[in-house]
Amino acid sequence: MFGKFPFFLFLIFISFSSHAQTCELKILGKVVDKNSLKSIEFASVYVEELVQGTVSDFSGNFEIKNLCPGEYHLVVRHIGCETQNVLFTLTSDTLWTVYVEHGSQLLNEVTVENHAQESKSQELEVLSSKDINRQLSKNLGQALENISGVSAIKNGNGVAKPVVHGLYGNRLTILNNGIAQSGQQWGFDHAPEIDPLLANRITVIKGVGAVEFMGNSLGSVILVEPKKIEKEPHLHGMARYFFNSNGLGNGVNVELQQYHKWLAWKVNGTLKKSGDAKTPDYFLTNTGIEEYNFAVELEKQITAKWTTNLYYSSFNTKIGILRGSHVGNLTDLKAAFESEQPFFTQKEFSYDIQNPRQEVNHHLFKASSKYLFSEQAWIEFVYAKQLNYRKEFDVRRGDRDDMPALSLDQESDFFEAKFHYYFKNEWHLKAGFQTNRVNNQNIPETGILPLIPNYLTTERGGFLIAARDFEKMKLEFGARVEEEVRKVASISNTVPRKVLNFENRYLNYTASLGMLYTFSEQFSMNYNVGFATRNPEVNELYSNGLHQGVSGIEEGDINLSSENAIKNTLSFTTKKKDRLFVEVLIYHQYIQDYIYLQAQDEFRLTIRGAFPVFRYEQADAQIYGLDLVTKYQINEKWLTELNYSFIQGNEIDDNTALINLPSNSILSTTSFQIPQVKSLKNVELEMIHKYVFEQTNITKDQDFVVPPDGYYLLGFRASAEKQFKSIRLGGHVGVENALNAKYRDYLNRQRYFADEVGRNLTVGAVVSF
Amino acid sequence: MKTKLLYVFLAMALFACKEDDENEPVAPVIPNEEEVITTVRYTLTPSGGGTVKVFQFQDLDGDGGNMPVISGDTLDLNRSYTGSLEFFNELETPADTITNEVLEEGDEHQVFYQNTSGDFVVAYTDTDRNGNPIGLSTTFESRTAGGLLTVILRHEPNKTATGVPGGDITNAGGETDIEVVFPVNVR
Repeated sequence: MFGKFPFFLFLIFISFSSHAQTCELKILGKVVDKNSLKSIEFASVYVEELVQGTVSDFSGNFEIKNLCPGEYHLVVRHIGCETQNVLFTLTSDTLWTVYVEHGSQLLNEVTVENHAQESKSQELEVLSSKDINRQLSKNLGQALENISGVSAIKNGNGVAKPVVHGLYGNRLTILNNGIAQSGQQWGFDHAPEIDPLLANRITVIKGVGAVEFMGNSLGSVILVEPKKIEKEPHLHGMARYFFNSNGLGNGVNVELQQYHKWLAWKVNGTLKKSGDAKTPDYFLTNTGIEEYNFAVELEKQITAKWTTNLYYSSFNTKIGILRGSHVGNLTDLKAAFESEQPFFTQKEFSYDIQNPRQEVNHHLFKASSKYLFSEQAWIEFVYAKQLNYRKEFDVRRGDRDDMPALSLDQESDFFEAKFHYYFKNEWHLKAGFQTNRVNNQNIPETGILPLIPNYLTTERGGFLIAARDFEKMKLEFGARVEEEVRKVASISNTVPRKVLNFENRYLNYTASLGMLYTFSEQFSMNYNVGFATRNPEVNELYSNGLHQGVSGIEEGDINLSSENAIKNTLSFTTKKKDRLFVEVLIYHQYIQDYIYLQAQDEFRLTIRGAFPVFRYEQADAQIYGLDLVTKYQINEKWLTELNYSFIQGNEIDDNTALINLPSNSILSTTSFQIPQVKSLKNVELEMIHKYVFEQTNITKDQDFVVPPDGYYLLGFRASAEKQFKSIRLGGHVGVENALNAKYRDYLNRQRYFADEVGRNLTVGAVVSF
Repeated sequence: MKTKLLYVFLAMALFACKEDDENEPVAPVIPNEEEVITTVRYTLTPSGGGTVKVFQFQDLDGDGGNMPVISGDTLDLNRSYTGSLEFFNELETPADTITNEVLEEGDEHQVFYQNTSGDFVVAYTDTDRNGNPIGLSTTFESRTAGGLLTVILRHEPNKTATGVPGGDITNAGGETDIEVVFPVNVR
């Protein structure tokens, strides 16, 4: 895939003179396009130690003269590419060729891949965090939202979980630094506990690339990866700050790293706080967020062939849930929907977080060790432990506000051994096995019958991937088998209460075949087909009772069987020089025994009134759609992009539309770019249009209220960079929902109660040294 | 060196693979469901004496599980009663009287009485610390027609909104803690 190396800068150093002269050394350089080998002008090269730089000329050449032997920090910049820093140890005159994938700005920073290839650019870890830096205030779900084929399912603005090709939660694996995120994945209101600012690269695998990873994915995988510690003996760091006018949100993130001979280290920390967001008409009372995250990474090169890495990250958040979205029964829900503004709306802004609120802590500890037998073969061992604590507080009677209504602890232990082997004849083999143990328990402090039972799951799996590169084609085949044993201890909902024990055993299979065929420089095709099974989750089997948040009685079914899915994706990519990029991806997923909540023809009487009953049922279903990504570089200064996502899904038997599928959407960005304005570099002005269509497939009887109308959002953003000696400063200002549009989104549960957030001015700054 | 390391790794792998099927999940602690309301009882005592009428909604296992049991009663024609509304949690032994909790937080609660026939007249006789009605104590007048009486307990309603102090739920907002319907006969 072209999407493999966005913002690709590849460096080759060639010594052409061995006699060092005192302070008369020079670097002769040339910047060329990686694909066309055409020279690139106006790329800037800056030497921090000299506090001066140069710009490549018409034929891409540049020259830095009068250098003493020693170390130099060089900064290479080209519009659209992430600024790259290189430590240069100069002993002699050096010829330096900088390969820039010039067309790379035609690709998304958040890489969209259709195929999990092994040819990862580990040695070229210069993949930028440009896009993450542009949306510093966003959580993971929001950050991914603008990718074609990806959306977010939300409960208000603070809780967003990513949706890829219509699947989310238990059906989508999210890997945090290579480890499948282990937390409460069910429901609308549990967002992944990952700070995107700890990552430098987020990858969405849309096809069936999940063979290598443990988890229940029915296809897509999201990889959140921190950047490797740069092999750089000096202390380097970065500080980032953001401000949001809507909700008066502020956040800082600091990262420091150093590659010592005896130990490489990196630390990263984030602090965020925001208050009540505001729709065009009213404050969304109690929608503040507080968050503090921390990560530390240590890497030790034990021998030339053996590297060990330790990583710890901690994610901690407190999220307010819109006060007016807490309802007692169906009458309340209807009243809330008919009300002009949500109940309990305050006239004043506040940072206070009252009930209902969530407090979530997630800790990940990872130890990995990699041993290279040779350049072609290595083995890697990983151990990871995750601790996930979730407490949800409701509005309750008496002095029970500090008593959580839901309190779950989850502990998981993961072990993995992976073996890679590159044969000389272009074959590449990868095999491995994993074990995972998840212990989920309710902390008995709620005074409420738990919604999710206690359980202990043991998973064991193994995989094999074989890949081969031909001249014009890459082929990859993978298979995986996984056993899951789950022991469940739940509490009866009849009196006298007693403990009920269950045991489930499942065998899950995954197989995938991927093919990338390159017809020419300009045209390529990617086909991926995969089969996957997913066993029913605990909530689907054992839920029983009133889910007050959704005003319904949810009933699990202990007889549910596993889902079997076949997904086909086919994409065509056209790339015309560095001008035009078009990618069309079509996909179809057939899911046998798709598990979903079906409204029953039945109301159940409780003391709060009658509630509709929803039962987990199974039916054969299909989801299909199209993702279109086009980028056109009109000239040196103008770049325009257009993304379109179309998705549809239904039950095969009766054509009933599947609920909670994203609406179709169009996103268009037009940017005006200037490499240099006075002392400002990479000046960029953008205009962003987004249109989300009405979800018209849902019928009236499938939901309490009909899906909201389509909506249009307009945004602007201006960004620039500036260099002060060895400090680089980047910044942006922008406005989201510039027209202050009043709208609701189908995938946001808060739509029953309130409008979406109105106009928001954003400011972001990145300082790095 | 290389082989030694490999042995270490293999040992780690085997260790990670060891059979741990005998492990069990943490035994759940059956919660003390002190907040649950299982029973709503509306007692009508006729003025001037006579048989006390009792209307009761009882769901002994809480939400879900078995169906609740609802019992109505028959009132006299054109009679005045003193109404008393009580809430219990019968999951506890002895049964816990939730009415006290509601009374203590009277300013955060209000009971609303609605009827289909319009032939019952319910009036509040109690007040919270702000002088607004709570609705646990009432007067009840029957006329000639029977019908359905709906009793609603709202948590954190807007007690000063238009009509609310008079018992009109329309502008009350808040969350419904209780909504039960009693059949009322008049003879």
